[in-house]
Amino acid sequence: MPEYDAVVIGAGNGGLTGALTLARAGRKVLLLERHNVPGGCATSFVRGRFEFEVALHQLSGMGSAERPGPLRSVLNDLGVMDKLEFVEMENLYRVVWPDTFDITLRAERNAIVETLQERFPKEKDNIPRFFDLVYSFSMEMVQGLFFKDPNISKEKYPLFFKYALTPTQKVLDEYFSDPLLKAVLSIYWSYAGVPPKWFSFGDFAIMLFAYIEFKPYHLKGGSQALSNALLDEFINNGGEVRFNCGAKKITTKGGRVTGVTTEQGDTVQTRYVLSNTSMLQTYLDLMDPDQVPRETLDGFRSTSIGPSAFSIYMGFDCEPEELGIQETTNFITTTTDMDKAFARWKTMEQQGVALLTCYDVSDPDFSPPGTCQAAYVALQYGDPWYLVPPHQYYDAKYRYAQGMMELAEKVFPGIQGHIEEMEIATPMTHLRYLGHLGGAIYGHDQYTKDTQYFMANRSPVQGLYFAGAWASQGGFQPTLTSGRSSAKAILKSMAKK
Amino acid sequence: MSLKDVIHDIEGYQDIASEIAVLKKYGFDYSAQRGQLESILDMLHPKKLRLRISEIIEETRSAKTLRLVPVQSYLPPFQAGQYISLVVEIGGVVTSRDYSMSSPPSQIGYYDVTVRRVGDGFVSEYLLDEAKPGDEFTSSSPAGNFYYNPLIHGRDLVFIAGGSGITPFMSMIREAAGRGLDRRIHLFYGSQSPDDIIFGQEIEDLSRRHSNFTWTSVISDPPQGYQGRAGFISAGLMEEVLGDLSDKMFFLCGPEAMYTFCRKELASLGVPGRRIRIEMYGPPKNITACQGWPESIDAGATVSVSMKGGKTITVRSTEPLMNSLERSGIVIPSLCRSGECSLCRTKLLKGKVFQPEGVKLRKSDRQFGYIHPCMAYPISDIEILLQ
Repeated sequence: MPEYDAVVIGAGNGGLTGALTLARAGRKVLLLERHNVPGGCATSFVRGRFEFEVALHQLSGMGSAERPGPLRSVLNDLGVMDKLEFVEMENLYRVVWPDTFDITLRAERNAIVETLQERFPKEKDNIPRFFDLVYSFSMEMVQGLFFKDPNISKEKYPLFFKYALTPTQKVLDEYFSDPLLKAVLSIYWSYAGVPPKWFSFGDFAIMLFAYIEFKPYHLKGGSQALSNALLDEFINNGGEVRFNCGAKKITTKGGRVTGVTTEQGDTVQTRYVLSNTSMLQTYLDLMDPDQVPRETLDGFRSTSIGPSAFSIYMGFDCEPEELGIQETTNFITTTTDMDKAFARWKTMEQQGVALLTCYDVSDPDFSPPGTCQAAYVALQYGDPWYLVPPHQYYDAKYRYAQGMMELAEKVFPGIQGHIEEMEIATPMTHLRYLGHLGGAIYGHDQYTKDTQYFMANRSPVQGLYFAGAWASQGGFQPTLTSGRSSAKAILKSMAKK
Repeated sequence: MSLKDVIHDIEGYQDIASEIAVLKKYGFDYSAQRGQLESILDMLHPKKLRLRISEIIEETRSAKTLRLVPVQSYLPPFQAGQYISLVVEIGGVVTSRDYSMSSPPSQIGYYDVTVRRVGDGFVSEYLLDEAKPGDEFTSSSPAGNFYYNPLIHGRDLVFIAGGSGITPFMSMIREAAGRGLDRRIHLFYGSQSPDDIIFGQEIEDLSRRHSNFTWTSVISDPPQGYQGRAGFISAGLMEEVLGDLSDKMFFLCGPEAMYTFCRKELASLGVPGRRIRIEMYGPPKNITACQGWPESIDAGATVSVSMKGGKTITVRSTEPLMNSLERSGIVIPSLCRSGECSLCRTKLLKGKVFQPEGVKLRKSDRQFGYIHPCMAYPISDIEILLQ
């Protein structure tokens, strides 16, 4: 029976960085992927003359070569930077409410403050105060938490201890009275998938801070280029990968991982498994019930399956300007009531809130000359789609997409008439390709109670580790980082033997 | 001291910790969802289908419809125009071919696939001559991108079919007629001779019953005294029959030669690329005639293909790599067999392959040396990594 030092299940962001970290340390690693291409969410697909970016909108934590952010350092360590070309975005985002409001924020603190002050003169003094808080808080979080200050205390990091778990909405209410301003400032809540009233200020502040300080990025060839680069380096380091071959069973003995059986029916021996599939699915579907302690499964009772997305990928027969698209990142909204918008994520009702990303604005080479593409997304839970009878599925999909296109038309009139290629992904599509219940794209719901402070990330099964959104947070930077840290934990455990 | 020791000092920590304690007690027990994911997936996109021929319908002297019913469970939905990839084993070789459903999506009891005899059709001959009711097959779930999108294709559709290329259109027409959909359809249907028109009677009946559906049959090789339209589906014919072409959406499905011809005709009529959708058609009949094929390599050339850590085989340069692998008993995942879907995506370690224009490789796949073996022709000795 073939033997590996470690088996990595799933070639998503976390699986890839994890597998590569292990391979670079000289370990013999098998990477299993059920799909035919690496990346999980970080992938692309081709229709007509377009290669559509599936999931990456704004890569956080990169920073420039001179002032590297945490993610750049991770990718540097993994030896893939020379295979990739990153594209910096000048602007943070545009928020547009058809016929009502329109604002674009540059990815620069002072410019943001000035733009907001100009648009919200009544809040003139509150705006810089709020950014002072975001920045001071984030500095404390970086010092105290990320750099693991051994003398961390309430006295030394007062802002961190006061605000880390405070709902973002509460802080916004403390600083501002204009609901529109609050909506504009907190619009990244949709990247986290939790409305401001349940989104911890700690996570929100550090996200906003990181996007402003390290700038939003994309890369040539899209997220698939990153996945391919990580995999290539993995192979170059002696790693073995199998596509179209998922894991079927993780075997254990006496509470310790002993091997993995693949979908193709062969079994390999290993003492370490890094699972990049959902934690829940790993325990439910990849392990025998008697091998998972009851308390472990009960641990999931306090969590809930997070949101998926309804995505429309569009290839246009013209340049962005002709469509009136001037920004890469366009948040479209028709409300300041985020709770209501969020509630609709669990229904088939149109939400009136969506994100349209046109990559070609920042990277004119992204699509073929004379064309451009957009990923147009509204978050939505999988639940309402479970209720659609299979034979009404395609009708339901087009109906929902049409509603979203009507919203897009209000911001970019005539856009629908320029679409050459269109592909629509529902939560069921994400469920199919990711293999997660609910088609969840960010793991479980990331309410304040689900943040890192409350998570027991140790598996009761010895040798079983996790990477990806379910083990940390959703999004590219967190998942890429999680694979690396879990792999380091595995290496540490191996070294003890 | 680490955060763990002082975590209770974070404002709000205690409250949340007690909320969690309550939820852990009363929250949903996920252990009930064991196996749920797969059963949800099976509703829409089962990994594989097991199908049985319930009936074989003689359509013309050279075409038959195989009516396929599910062996277990039920059939997943599809969009009119999509296909299944049917796996067959012929003389020890396992291969697969794509067949568009000719039945409409509203027919949920069976899938009809209609097979026409083609000159050297390895699989079509088997299905026409050997297959019989009761035979069972494995197939893929419905797949493919040749379908009508109500958001962007408008309501005025022109279908251009050649030979067995009628099958996806038959599904679309039957669906539009059966569901009373608000679309106008004109079908141009090119056949070699009047005897080759598949579904002729049904098409005629539908066009009589539905004012929004009309058709023109065009015979390329008419018998003496033939009264109907003869020739090809030309620009002149289209203009004459359709009148104003603006806002019309064209769908093409048929043999390679028809595409070459009709594409030019549509271009001459000024139809923009956005308003033309063409179904893929598998590997070209004669790869050496393709643009970019290296002149130095003739039709008889052979090269060696070695699989890293495995065996080495000798193959013909003019056959798609996937077919050569299948001939030597190596079955790699396949679906579209036209270079589109990337299911067969394989890493090329050494040597060169020729991939005709239209093979849909991702940019970064190209950068990192991946090929689509279903439409890749080895033109030197190569080494591949089967993953």
